[in-house]
Order: sequence, then C-alpha cells, then structure tokens
Amino acid sequence: MRVSVFSSIAVFSIFAAGVLAFAAIAFAGVSEGKGIFDSKNCGGCHQIQGPAKEKTIEDMLTKKAPELWYAGSKFRKEFLEKWLKDPKPIRPMEFYSLTKKNGANHAKLDAKAAKDVSDYLMSLKSSDVKAANIQPKSGPQGRVVFEKKQGCYGCHEVKKGAGVVGGLTGPTLVGAGDRLNPDWIYAYLTNPKVFKPVKDMPVYTGALSDSELKNLAEFVAGLK
Amino acid sequence: MIRKTLIAVAALSAFLALSRMSDAQAAAAEANYKFYCAQCHGLEGKGDGPNATKSQPVSPRNHTNTVEMSKLSDQDIINVIKGGGAATSKSTMMPPFGKTLTDAEVAALKDYLRKLCKCKGN
Repeated sequence: MRVSVFSSIAVFSIFAAGVLAFAAIAFAGVSEGKGIFDSKNCGGCHQIQGPAKEKTIEDMLTKKAPELWYAGSKFRKEFLEKWLKDPKPIRPMEFYSLTKKNGANHAKLDAKAAKDVSDYLMSLKSSDVKAANIQPKSGPQGRVVFEKKQGCYGCHEVKKGAGVVGGLTGPTLVGAGDRLNPDWIYAYLTNPKVFKPVKDMPVYTGALSDSELKNLAEFVAGLK
Repeated sequence: MIRKTLIAVAALSAFLALSRMSDAQAAAAEANYKFYCAQCHGLEGKGDGPNATKSQPVSPRNHTNTVEMSKLSDQDIINVIKGGGAATSKSTMMPPFGKTLTDAEVAALKDYLRKLCKCKGN
C-alpha cells in the first residue's frame, strides 16, 4: 500500500514537473518575444493594447501600421513566424495612404526572434473572435459574393490564372488562407467595429446576409 | 429700436451658426471623400485612385466630368453611395456605404460631388 502511494506521488511529480517545464518553455517564448517587441520599439507603429481607441478618420490616418492587439486571433502562427523572418508587403500601399506605395522596409528577424515574437503575438487574443467553425472553401457560393454580388477585388488583390488582379488599397488576399484565422475573417465581417471602429472598407453587416458573410469568410479563408 | 437691433443680432448669430455648421459639414464631406471614395475615384475625383488598376473590369467614374455627372439626379447619387452600383443597375465594383455612413454624411457627400462636377442633377 505504502509503495503504491509512493509510486503514485512519484508519477504525479514527474507529470507535474513535465507540465511546468512545458509551460515554462511556452511562456519563455511569449516573454522573450515581448522583450524583443519592446526593445525594437515595434509598439511605436503597432498598437498592442486593446480595445480599439480610434474615433475619427484623423485618428486612423495618424496610425503607421496595423494594430496587433488581436494578432493571436487574427493570424496563423506559422504565417507570422515565416513572415517575420522574411517580411513581404501585405498592403500594396503604405498603411492607409493613397499616394505612397509600400516601402517594403519592415524589420526582419532571425529565426529565434521570429519564433519568440510570433509566440508573443499569438498570445494576444480577442474574446470577440469566437469559434465559428469557418472552414476554407473554394466553391461557388462564396465566389459569387466575392466577385459578383460585391466587387471585393476592387480593393483587394487576388490570384487569377497565373497573374494577380485587383485594387491596391486593401491588404492583399493572395495567400489569405495561409495568413488568416478563418474564424477571425468571419468575426471581422460580422463585427468589424470592435477591431476597426473607423476603416476605409465598407461595413457589410446588414448589407449582406449572415449566410452570405459566412460564405464570403469561407471563400477568403480558402484563397491561396 | 432696441428690439430691431436685438432681432438683427439674433438673425446674424443664427446665420453665422448655420454657415459654421455648413462649413463643418463640407469639411467632413471632403474628409469622408478622401478616406472612402478617393481609393477608387482619386483624391481629386478624376477616377484615378490607386484601385483604378488596369486589371479592373470597369473604370471608376470621373466625378469632375460635368456631362456624365449631370445625367445623375441627386437621388441617383444618394442611392448609389448607400446601395452601391447594384442599386442603380451599375457595376457592383462600387460598394455600398449605407451601413458605413449616416444619411446626413451621404447627403453631404452628394453636395461635395456636385462641387466636383460643377453641375446639377436633371
């Protein structure tokens, strides 16, 4: 009996130590990532604390870069880590500029820093992005909304055949499926003001039905 | 005499207040135009915003084109801003702003477009 108690305690201790070690490693990434983020003054351009504060167009125009306070709900971890190692413009134009092309001058991180910063960014969640089970789809339902009912590519680049077509003021949707959390796309389409109270993209809630917005989110989530 | 003076002062104050409001609305309309509309229609309204790329199926309307803009009634302009191209059987490349802008903002944008085209609706 005593042996059994001791062995149970031993097993539990090993398990607890393993859990703690795992938590410590995971936390180290977040903590070190935050350290790198702060030391490089990334917060000088990227808003890192929610909720959204902007109230006017002027507020939005003074921003230099996308807000990241909900990055962990918006992005896919693999994308962030890869992108931070080799950043390529997501927006063809400078953030909210109509006159300047994106300078493609975002800071580049080494592999370890990219992992840590992406761990940190993935820890920044928004409770407004709920599990909606949006699955990437390339079927006609979403395509009709994207291409016919609305002209989403008027502002967003997409792949067509071997080339890329579309407008330049929105973030590119080439590779959107690798970049974005499908549930975030749906949350952004149905509840945009939580993330961006002022934005140059029209509000589609009420202009499109909920099932159309869901089809659209699935379609965007499937864009390569 | 005093009464007349008071009435005149009150009328002048009301006029100034109204003109200030009107100036503020016009400034807000210009800011809205440059934020939302100029993406496609250009900062000066010539239809040459950054989204007017060669790959687009239609060109954004040139809002300074007096002849073309004269063909639209004020209500046509309001309808197309609120409901998008589909509302007036035009291209859906023009998106709907009815859930983005208030009716007053849309009306002020219509006035701004009339200034750009230097025209009135028929």
